Amino acid sequence: MTDVADLPVYDSDQIRTPLVSELRNFWVFRRLIRLLVARDLTSRYKRSVLGVWWTLLNPLLTAGVMYLVFGVAIGGRFGETDEPYVVYLLAGVLFMTFFGQGMLATASSIAGAKAILSKVYVPAEVFAFATGVSGLVNFGFSLFPLIIAQLLTGTGVPLTALLAPIPVLAMLALVIGAGMLIAAAAVFFFDVLDLTRVFVQLLQYLTPVFYPLSFIPDRFLGVYKLNPLFSYLDNFRNVIYRGEIGPAWQWWYMGGTAVLALVIGVWAFSKAWRSLAMQL
Amino acid sequence: MGVLEGLAFIGDAIVTYPLIEVRNVSLAYVMNRDRAGTFKEFTFQLLKRQVTAERFLAVDNVSFEVHRGETVALIGRNGAGKTTLMKVVARVLPPTSGRVIVRGRVAPMIALGAGFNHELNAIENIVLFGTLLGREPDEMRERAAEIGEWAELTEFMDVPIRSFSSGMLARLGFAVAADVDPDVMVVDEVLSVGDESFQQKSFERMQSLMKGGTAVLLVSHALDKVLQMADRVIWIDHGKVMADGDPEEVVDAYRDAVRRP
Repeated sequence: MTDVADLPVYDSDQIRTPLVSELRNFWVFRRLIRLLVARDLTSRYKRSVLGVWWTLLNPLLTAGVMYLVFGVAIGGRFGETDEPYVVYLLAGVLFMTFFGQGMLATASSIAGAKAILSKVYVPAEVFAFATGVSGLVNFGFSLFPLIIAQLLTGTGVPLTALLAPIPVLAMLALVIGAGMLIAAAAVFFFDVLDLTRVFVQLLQYLTPVFYPLSFIPDRFLGVYKLNPLFSYLDNFRNVIYRGEIGPAWQWWYMGGTAVLALVIGVWAFSKAWRSLAMQL
Repeated sequence: MGVLEGLAFIGDAIVTYPLIEVRNVSLAYVMNRDRAGTFKEFTFQLLKRQVTAERFLAVDNVSFEVHRGETVALIGRNGAGKTTLMKVVARVLPPTSGRVIVRGRVAPMIALGAGFNHELNAIENIVLFGTLLGREPDEMRERAAEIGEWAELTEFMDVPIRSFSSGMLARLGFAVAADVDPDVMVVDEVLSVGDESFQQKSFERMQSLMKGGTAVLLVSHALDKVLQMADRVIWIDHGKVMADGDPEEVVDAYRDAVRRP
């Protein structure tokens, strides 16, 4: 046994600095985070017949139904873009699924880890972070059908696709930040998750996922673009298949809101932690 | 930094710091009589100005120390605040006031198996639970076979633990927690894990950990076991320390108090 002097010490009087403590914990607990992500993925994939395809099934079916309804049934009115509607739709649905599902999973991760958190000391934010990251991995898998669609429709994969990690990581920051904010609230009121689900649905309609931007009347366009998700999605579409960079403000807006969401989420979580621990 | 160092020289004497230090710790739960469980209810209550919060002192100004190699048992009625106190020491609950200092690696043996994932097999769970307790995943992978053998589960190591019995789960949980080789062990009513022979085995394991210098804080209602294991007993009632000292005396005092109507 080591000398007492070398032992790690827990002192309840040590002040927990919001943000700093959490960010340090993400590093200190990186091995655990990796393990939790792996656990999440194995329990999802390893023991099911369809494996990875399960995760893809939901967004692909959604995209399929939307394609039939909006692209074919309503006389292809939504398809009046210069780009193949399939690619436009898939990119939208997959990216927004990452947002919606990732945020909800992150938000419910704390309550889900209740059994562990009320018995063993593990910083709760570790679970939120791990859940966000496993959402990212799922999204990574879902890029395959998108790339295939791009190749089949002749859109191809432009060089700018190399920049795709930027909107994707910004989205991860947004997912984790917003998820932690909701997680903190969800421990006190369980219907917050239901409210979030409705909110996510609403956002799907306020973001050009299945309709082209040209559907929004010009006079509303300014307000419409205030929705941060517009910037995230448009940046993603621009680089992944349009071969464009797009307007600079969209990148600033995306980066700014991503950092802001992460800071607010982690900070609120940190503030709520004391009462959170009592509720678990 | 003085407090953080284990050894200090005062004159010629070596002063050893206790592994667990609990100083004037209180913990208050905020209880809401008609607690709003949903945001909807809360909004209504807020509008009707019905949000009332009461504080409930689960732990009331408690102080004690546990030194290296010492075993201290907490006894008391249900709801006396023992488990809450354990959680404060295990770092799960932050104290409302007062200070807790715990030195070394802590193995909480509270409701074993809490960290298990039922879809994963025994090996994966050993790695996961061990990592939750602060060990390296690689280290745990190497130890997995031995831990499984100790838990008498060798032939079930690659089976998803959802098909395990509660006894098997508890054995696995104890085996992992005990393997951590902790400096501080926080034990809540897990002395009754498994059958007679496994109980004997886990008892011996704990004894050898204690001899190795582990500080043990345990909660139990089995007063005979407490007398058998503890070097010191603390009796807690309504969150307050009623007595702290020699096991025989404290247990007798507690038994008297319980018998008195």
